[in-house]
Amino acid sequence: MSSAFLAGLRFEARMMRRDGAVWFALIILAGVALFALAMGASRVAAQQAAIDAARADETQRISRLQKTLAQLQEADAQGKPAPEPPPFRDPRNPTFMGGGPAAAVAALAPSPLALVATGQGDLLPPAVRVTTGSKDSFLFADEIDNPANLMSGATDLAFVVVFVYPLVVLAMAFNLLAGEREQGTLAMSLASARRPAAALAGKLAARVAAPIIAMLLAVAAGVWFFAGWERLASPGFAALAVAILLYGLFWAALAAAVDGLGRNSAFNALTLIGAWVAITMVLPAAINSLAAFAHPAPSRIEMVLAARAASTDADKSRDAALARYADEHGGGKPASGGGAHEATLRRLATQEAAFQRVEAIIAEHDAQLARQRDMADRLGYLSPAYLTFQAMADIAGAGETRYRAFLDRIRAFHVDWREFFLSRARAGAALTAQDYAAMPKFTQTDEELMARPPAGLAGPLIGVALPMLILAIFAWRGLRRCGI
Amino acid sequence: MSELALAPLAAAAPAKSRWRVMRAVAAKEWLELWRDRRLVWLCAFIVALMLAALAFGYVENARLLREREAAAKADRELWVGQSAKNPHAAAHFGQYAFKPLSPLALADPGVDAYVGSAVWLEAHRQNETQFRQARDGGVGARLGSLSLAFILQTIAPLIVILMGFASFSGERESGTLKQLLSVGARPRDILAGKALALIGAIFALLAPAFIGAALALLFFVDRERLSLADQFIRLGALGAAYAAYLAGFAFLALGVSALAKNSRAALVALLAFWLANSFLAPRLATDAARAFAPVPTWQAFRAGVAQDKAKTFGHDETHPGFIAFRDAILKKYGVARIEDLPVNFRGLALRQDDESGYAIFDRHFGALQSTFDRQDALRAAPGLLFPLLALRPLSMAFAGVDSRSQFDFATAAEAHRRDIQNEVSDNIIHFAHDNAYVAGPELWRKIAAFSYRAPGAGFALGYSALPIAALIGWLALMVVLAAFAVRRLRPA
Repeated sequence: MSSAFLAGLRFEARMMRRDGAVWFALIILAGVALFALAMGASRVAAQQAAIDAARADETQRISRLQKTLAQLQEADAQGKPAPEPPPFRDPRNPTFMGGGPAAAVAALAPSPLALVATGQGDLLPPAVRVTTGSKDSFLFADEIDNPANLMSGATDLAFVVVFVYPLVVLAMAFNLLAGEREQGTLAMSLASARRPAAALAGKLAARVAAPIIAMLLAVAAGVWFFAGWERLASPGFAALAVAILLYGLFWAALAAAVDGLGRNSAFNALTLIGAWVAITMVLPAAINSLAAFAHPAPSRIEMVLAARAASTDADKSRDAALARYADEHGGGKPASGGGAHEATLRRLATQEAAFQRVEAIIAEHDAQLARQRDMADRLGYLSPAYLTFQAMADIAGAGETRYRAFLDRIRAFHVDWREFFLSRARAGAALTAQDYAAMPKFTQTDEELMARPPAGLAGPLIGVALPMLILAIFAWRGLRRCGI
Repeated sequence: MSELALAPLAAAAPAKSRWRVMRAVAAKEWLELWRDRRLVWLCAFIVALMLAALAFGYVENARLLREREAAAKADRELWVGQSAKNPHAAAHFGQYAFKPLSPLALADPGVDAYVGSAVWLEAHRQNETQFRQARDGGVGARLGSLSLAFILQTIAPLIVILMGFASFSGERESGTLKQLLSVGARPRDILAGKALALIGAIFALLAPAFIGAALALLFFVDRERLSLADQFIRLGALGAAYAAYLAGFAFLALGVSALAKNSRAALVALLAFWLANSFLAPRLATDAARAFAPVPTWQAFRAGVAQDKAKTFGHDETHPGFIAFRDAILKKYGVARIEDLPVNFRGLALRQDDESGYAIFDRHFGALQSTFDRQDALRAAPGLLFPLLALRPLSMAFAGVDSRSQFDFATAAEAHRRDIQNEVSDNIIHFAHDNAYVAGPELWRKIAAFSYRAPGAGFALGYSALPIAALIGWLALMVVLAAFAVRRLRPA
């Protein structure tokens, strides 16, 4: 590193140390970041509490069913049968128990760095109750929240990094040359170094390093304090630090490139504010609107209606089958005909029909949503703010990648769950204590597997780094051409 | 010359000449704004953006409207097309109520994406509205989408700040303020002239957007279902609210410009306020609202309902409540056995159980909405200082896309669910002679489809007192600030 660069850096750092406004801005930035991490930690605790409550409820439900089952079996064994419970309360009834009372909780535990970003975490429930019904009956349950709260968004680190942090970087770097020119000190700065461009680069480095280092230190301290020391040594934290560093450098390079145009401070300030509004607000909003316009999100209502249509069709075809049987057998009912067994078969038929149609529609919907998101992701490369926001959500495990893995796991688990109960229902078998012990479980191991370090961050990070490098080249040319 | 020396001269100036000063100042400001091509291009860009946002809103709303109308029709066909079955089984199959779209959602989509669009009306249970559109939008969608409200709430104040930050400080820096004061112009008249120019610019910015919205309403509103006049009243209220919001920013910019040492300091202070108002205040107010008026989790809410419902008998014939009800009915009809009743006992029991449930649902869902209302009030309270907190609920209320409008829809849907239950139970009471009783399509047809008419603008006005007061307070406060600032105006 050249001595001119180091001299410029040292000189500017000394100047900044004596500037109260710089300290104020850095302390505010670090304070806001720590506050956001504290809010994130309380949000994670609430999510964990919701999962724990769902699990406690599951344990309570199952143990109640097991107790009732034991009482019924004991009464039978003693030759004093207890009054027959209705089928929907009968712990021996696999059709009804798998469809609700014994439902399994599938939970997505918060990831190690969940406090960093809310992402979709406030919209997608952390725990769902898997039943033998079609997915529309359990997958779209929502956690209760005031819709205006959801609309406002949460104070999280992703918000601070994407919106507040660039403003501090811009405030530090927007008028290095213009400011010196207006104060009349530029000539002296240029004359005092053998390589003026290197000296100016050193000064710029001091100015942009301050907010970037303050932000990284605040994030490290916050993660250590609110999530624990071991989170700092994780690949996720390394990815987070790189994302924050690159995003800060992007804004610093932009400020330096604009400053390098040789205009006055007012021009720089207005241009950079315009760029900030465009990159953090207008472009992301336009990207979302364009993607939604080109590939509108499919209607979930269509899925529900298809499930309902399937169940009425199945009902009718069962009626027709029974009527045919009656015709062919002189008005008699099938041997398995009346009452509870017919009700069970009817229920199974409607469930199966709804299941098949809903699976097909969910697959179609997912494909349409994937097209919308692909387009938004591609257009996202126009805005480093959009990329950074997404990268931080992925690092926090609150993005699509992890939730998709969760949904895939639920899909497989749902198949096992249905098979377990419906095979017994079709065979007319009653659930036993052994069955209760052998019920499929959505295990903790699955959740731990899903807490793996985030992948697929290279694209977004390169998407931020590339424009940063291009702007840095412009900025360097500006510094070299700099005139008084 | 100091302003003290000028004051007697100015006070003596006739109203006509003061108006001439105001007009001259306003004309000069307009000319300067017009000559600043950057600002003109910026305004043109914002107007284009607003019109594009309206177009997106129109297309999206038309699509959603088509979707929901088709869904309502399809659901009705499914309901009517049920095979013969016990009416209570049909009640379990239920109906779906679809939330009609408010036409002004094309300008302000409000909370629509976060509340869901359909509610299942089934036996024994009041459900929450399902299928939040925002769930499908992905993480990036949380950065917002283009809407007229988004642009007017966040970007338009920035434009006003850029137009006004140098109003006084710029004149002071170039020496023209001293000249202006030296010819006897009163600082208050200069302020009025500059405010006139800025407010004129705000109207020029708002006019294309609101004309566009009015035209969109003309095409969009289904006049058989909705009153066009009501929609225009709502649009007028929105226009007034946005004008007050932006006019407050104009006076703020003028006041800060008059007080600040130089234009740079004025710009920094105004941008810091804009950032706090647009980004920090809504989030921090939401965090505070969540902390002071916590909402129960779904698990806790449903557990509370279930706890109360456990006190009713449902389908449990061994429940003490059921036995007491059965005995009361037998006594009322003067018979000893259920079989001897002239009406169907199961139907009576279902109706009784439903009615017990209605009170429970009203209590729990009412309490939940009260918590939402408390949160909304807490969020709007600092609206006097951070006007976005007052404007946003007002805009959503008059656009018919806030949580109160949602609650009104949910209440109407629940009333319809109760009509279905009552009709079904009555049918069982009077026609079912045994458990094998089934009803046919004539009963399904007799039960009406859900029909909802959103309340008028008066409904929004009725619960918007706090945000309206906060927004008027904000404007008044900024006028006072500007008047105070020009009283301390230094020519150099």
